[in-house]
Amino acid sequence: MKILYSWLKDFIDVDLPAAELAAKLAALGIETAELKKTGADFEGVHTAKILKIEKHPNADKLSLVDLDTGSGVRKVVCGAKNLEVGIIVPLAREGARLGSNILTAAVIRGIKSDGMICSADELGLVEKRAEGILHLDKNLAIGIDVSTLYGKPDYIFDLEITPNRPDLLSHLGIARELSILLNIPLKKINLKPVKEEGKAFGVKISSSLCGRYSGRTVRGVKNTAAPAWITQRLAAMGVNGKNALVDISNYVLYDLGLPLHFFDLKSIDGGINVRAAADGEKFETLDGSKLELNAQDLVIADNSKVVALAGIMGGKESGIKENTYDIFIEAAYFNPPTINKTAKRFGMSSEASQRFERGADISLTLTALARATNLVQEICGGTASAATDVYPVPYVSPEVVFTPQDIYKILGMEIAEEKLKQIFAALGKFDGGKTPWKFTAPAHRRDLAHKWDLAEEAARFNGFENIPVSSTRASVAFADNPKNVDCGAKFAAVLTSAGFCECKNFDFISGRDLDNFYFDKKFTVELANPISEEWQFMRPSLLPGLLKNAAFNQSRGATDYKLFETGKEYANMKGFPVESWAVAGIVCGAASPEYFAQKTVPADFYFIKGLAAQVIKDFEGVTFAVSKTAPAYMHPKICMDVLDGGKAVGFFGRLHPLTAKAYGLKNDEIYVFNFNLKTLEKKFKAQEFKPAADVPQFPSSYRDLSFVFDKSLHYAEIEKAVNSAGVWSKMSYNLTDVYTGPNLPEGKKSVTLNFSFWLMDRTLKDSEVEDNISKIAAALTALGGEMRK
Amino acid sequence: MNLTEWKQKCAAVEAEYKKQIAAAADADVLEAARVASLGRKGALTELLKNLKDFSIEEKKEAGPLGNELKKNLEAAFESKEMTLVAAKLNADLEKTNIDLTLPGAPVAAGHYHPLTIALNRMTAVLSKLGFVWADGPQIEEEKYNFDYLNIPAHHPARDMQDTFFIAGKPGMVLRTHTSNVQVRYMEKNKPPLRIMSPGRVFRKDDIDASHSPVFNQIEGLYVDKNVSLADLKSDLTAFMKGLFGAKAEVRFRPSYFPFVEPGVEVDVKCVFCDGKSPCAFCKGTGWKEMLGAGIVHPQVLRNVGIDPEVYSGYAFGMGVERLAMMLLNIKDIRAFYENDLRILRQF
Repeated sequence: MKILYSWLKDFIDVDLPAAELAAKLAALGIETAELKKTGADFEGVHTAKILKIEKHPNADKLSLVDLDTGSGVRKVVCGAKNLEVGIIVPLAREGARLGSNILTAAVIRGIKSDGMICSADELGLVEKRAEGILHLDKNLAIGIDVSTLYGKPDYIFDLEITPNRPDLLSHLGIARELSILLNIPLKKINLKPVKEEGKAFGVKISSSLCGRYSGRTVRGVKNTAAPAWITQRLAAMGVNGKNALVDISNYVLYDLGLPLHFFDLKSIDGGINVRAAADGEKFETLDGSKLELNAQDLVIADNSKVVALAGIMGGKESGIKENTYDIFIEAAYFNPPTINKTAKRFGMSSEASQRFERGADISLTLTALARATNLVQEICGGTASAATDVYPVPYVSPEVVFTPQDIYKILGMEIAEEKLKQIFAALGKFDGGKTPWKFTAPAHRRDLAHKWDLAEEAARFNGFENIPVSSTRASVAFADNPKNVDCGAKFAAVLTSAGFCECKNFDFISGRDLDNFYFDKKFTVELANPISEEWQFMRPSLLPGLLKNAAFNQSRGATDYKLFETGKEYANMKGFPVESWAVAGIVCGAASPEYFAQKTVPADFYFIKGLAAQVIKDFEGVTFAVSKTAPAYMHPKICMDVLDGGKAVGFFGRLHPLTAKAYGLKNDEIYVFNFNLKTLEKKFKAQEFKPAADVPQFPSSYRDLSFVFDKSLHYAEIEKAVNSAGVWSKMSYNLTDVYTGPNLPEGKKSVTLNFSFWLMDRTLKDSEVEDNISKIAAALTALGGEMRK
Repeated sequence: MNLTEWKQKCAAVEAEYKKQIAAAADADVLEAARVASLGRKGALTELLKNLKDFSIEEKKEAGPLGNELKKNLEAAFESKEMTLVAAKLNADLEKTNIDLTLPGAPVAAGHYHPLTIALNRMTAVLSKLGFVWADGPQIEEEKYNFDYLNIPAHHPARDMQDTFFIAGKPGMVLRTHTSNVQVRYMEKNKPPLRIMSPGRVFRKDDIDASHSPVFNQIEGLYVDKNVSLADLKSDLTAFMKGLFGAKAEVRFRPSYFPFVEPGVEVDVKCVFCDGKSPCAFCKGTGWKEMLGAGIVHPQVLRNVGIDPEVYSGYAFGMGVERLAMMLLNIKDIRAFYENDLRILRQF
C-alpha cells in the first residue's frame, strides 16, 4: 500500500520528517519497504530557449550557449552533449535553489556563465545521474517557473500491510493508526451534504454473501479529465489517470479504503440485484475476459444480466465510457472468503478484491458514497438521487470483557492503567470505569475480538521495546530425540569419518529420473502443481539426487567422490503418500585420498561392503545376504540386501552402468548403499548402553591354516564350516589371504585364516589348541579342501 | 694379605677402573674394562675371592666393603654404557635427512553439510534451554498445516505461502512450515510442553539467491501456565546468545502470523558491527530480522483441546538457511542444494 505524505495530512496534522514517520510506523508493525521522495524540490529555475551554440574558446568539451529567457538573452557555459538550437531547457539563475544547494555565479575557463542549464538529476527529478540536459516540451512558453510543471516535494511510503489489517489499506486508515500512537486527533472527513434530487435507485440483496449495499445515481454528468490534484495523487499510487469518473472511484479507494464501483446507468436494465451467479452463467469483464461463473460466485446483476463480478471487476458493457452521461455508484460490503475464492479461481487480484477479501469497513459505505458523490458533482456536475442503503443484518462487534491483569499475564509485564485506558479509548468503545473492563471494536477493526488481540494493541501502542527480558524458565521433563534423529546422526558420523561428504537435495525429482531408475509412476507421489517438470515427483530414493550431484561435480572437475544424504523417501502406497527416513551414499574412484607416497586403490564392492558393515556394526541381528532380485538400477550380480530378521532394510552394491550413464557419468563404476531408517532406528536405541564384554586376562594362542579349495566355493561356506567345527574354547579368526595363480592347480584357490583361541579362566594347553585346529581342518577337508603344508 | 693390604688393593682397583670408565670412548673399551675388573678373573673378583681367608671378625668388616665396591663399579659401568648408547643413537639421528616439507598423509575426513552444521548448533542451544526434539510428516493434511493453525480456507493468510499440492490426493500438501509438528505434538501431549521442530518445508517460490522452494525451518513451542511475551523475549535472548555469543540482544516488532496473537517479528542486534559503522550484514541498521514469533493464538490451543484460559504458550520459527548463510558467509541459498564438493569440503 502506497501512502503519499501530503495526502495523509488530509486526515491528520503530522509534521514529522519522513524517515521518522517510517520509524514510527515500523514500531507499530507497519514496515516501509521503500521511502521515495517525489516532486520538484527547487526554486528559481525557468524555461529558456537555446538561440545559438558556440565552442568554448578555452575548452574542447564545453560550449557557450545563448538563451532567450523571455527577458533578455543570457550566455551560459555548458558541458552537455545534447544541446540543440531551438529547444526549451530549464535554466537556473544565480541564487536559484536546487534541493539544498544555492547556485552561485561561476567563471568557467575564463568565461562567466550567466546561470546553469539543468539535467533531470540536478533538479532532483531522478535518483540516478542523468546524461545531458533536460529537454522540456517544445511548446512551453519561455520564462515560466519550471517547478510549476512538477508536483510539490513529497514522499511516497510503500508500506507492507499484513493481511489481518485491511483497515490500514488507505490514507484514512494509516492516519487513524498514527492518531492513536501520536495522540493527535483525527481530522473530520471532508464531506458536503449531498443535495438529493429524485428517488433512490432500486437495489435488492438476494444473497447473504453481500452484507450491505449502498448506492445512488448521478445523472447528467460530463466525464471530462480529472483535475491535476487527483491525477497527481493517483500517479503517486502508481495509477494512470483515465477519465474523471474512473479516477474518482480509484481516488476514494485510496482515500478511505472502500472500493467503489461506478456503472454506466444506461446499460442497467431495471434495478440492481446482488445474487449468486447461476452455474454456467457467462460474463464478460471490463478487460474483455470471458468468464463462466458458478453458484459460488457473487454477482451484481440487473433484471436481465450480470453487470459486475462483485468486489472484483465490472462488466464490459456496464463500464464507464468517455461519453457516459448517467451513472450509478456502488458502495458495498461483500463476504471476504467469497471474494477470495472467486478472485483466485479467475486469477484476478485487484486493488478492490484485495480489500474485500481481507474485509472492508461495512460501516463506511454511506461515507464513501457521499465522498464520491461530492467529487463527481464538483468535477463532472450532474444531479444526485437519494441514496439507497440495503443493510439486512447490521454488524455488531463482539464485546470483550477483560481485566488489566489479563493483559499483564499475556505480555509478562505491567502497563500503567491510565496508559491502557487511553489506548483502548482511542481504539474503540471502551468502558474502563470498573473492572472487568469492556471494549467493543469499531467495524473496521474486526480483528479485535478477544483479550489476546487487545494485549497486542496494548503492547504496540505502549512500545514493544518495553517488553522485559528476564531469566529463562523451563518446567518440562526430559525426553529423548526422535529415534530417526539419533540413528541418522550415528550413520552420518560413521560416513563422515570414512571420508563421505554430506549432500542435501530437493525432495523433488523428474519423470526422467524415474525412468533412469525404472521406478513405476504408479508407486510415486506426484505434485499437482510442481515448479517445473524437473521437480514433478517426490523422490522415491535419495540416489537420483546423489547421481545428479556426482554429475554436477564431474562438470567441475571432480573424478573421485564419496557422497551421502540423509533425508526422506516417498512412496504411493495404495493411493496414500507415505514417507520414511533413509540414508544413502555413492562412491566412485579412489577409496582413500590420493597421496604421492602410496598407491590409491579404487573403491570396489568390498569397500562398500566394509562400509555397510561398519554402519550396522552395533545393530544386533542385522545381516547381509546376496540379493535374489536386485533393483533394476543395480548391477544384477553385485548387490547385497541388508536384512533385519528376513526383512530387507537396505542394500548395497554396484550401480547398474546404464543408470550411471543416464546421468552422464564418465566413470560408471559406482558403488552405492541405501538404508531405510524406519526399522533400523528401532534397534538403535537398544544399542545406546551396550554393556562392555570382558576381555581375557590370559594369553591367546594363534595358529594359521591354509587350505586349497575350488575357486567357486563361497567364503560363506568356509565360515560356516569353521563356526560349526566343534571348537570348544573361545575363538576368533581373520581371513589373511586368498590366493590364485602359480603353484596352484587351475580352478583352485588358497585361503589362509589366522585363528586365535583363548579361555577366560586359564591359558590353553598346546594339546588343546591342536585339538581345535584338527577339528577345523577336518571340517574344511569335509568341504573338499586340502590343507597346504 | 692382611686386611689393611686388602683394603688398599681394593681402593686401588676402584680408582683404576673408575679412571678407565671415565676414559672409555666406546662400548668395546668399556666392556674390556668391565671384564678386567668384574669378569670371572677380573681384578675385583679376585680380591673378593680373598675374603674367605679372613677371620670372622675381619669378614664382618671386609664383606660389606667388598660388596659395596662391586655395586659401585657395576653402577658406574652401567651408567657409562647408557651414556655411550645415547651418544651413539644421537649421532645416528643427526645423520637423518628427510624432507619435512612434503605433504602429510591425508586422513579420509568427510564433511557435514553446512546446513547440518547450522542445524546442529541450533538444536544444541535449544536442547540446553530444555527444548525436546519433535518430528513430523512432510506430506501433510491441510488441517494440520493450515486449519488448526487458524489459517482458514479462502483467507488471504493462506495465500501468504504458496503451497504445493499432492496430485490425486485433495487435502494433502507439502508442509509450508514446521508448525504442523506443534499441532500434532499438542494433540498427543498435555502441557507443560517445550519442543523444537527442525525440518524441511516447501513453498512454491521462485528460485533466486535468497529463495528456495525447499528450505529448513526450526520452530520452538512452549506451553505452560502463565507463559508470556516476556518469557518469549527471555528465551529468544538466550537462544540468540547461544548462537551469536553473550552480547546478543533481541528486539520485538509487531507483526502478524495467523497462529499467534500477539505476533512479533524478532530482530537480533548485529553481531558484526554493533550498529556503528556501515555493515553489509545489517545494512547499517544495527539489527537483523531473524525470527517470527508470538503468543500461541487461543483458537490454536482450543483446536487441540487445551484451554487457553488455563494454559498459554509461545511459538517461534526461523529459517535455517538464513542463519547458515550469515554464520558461514554463504551468499546464495542455491549453494546449499548444489552440493559443490569444493564448497562442502570447506566445512
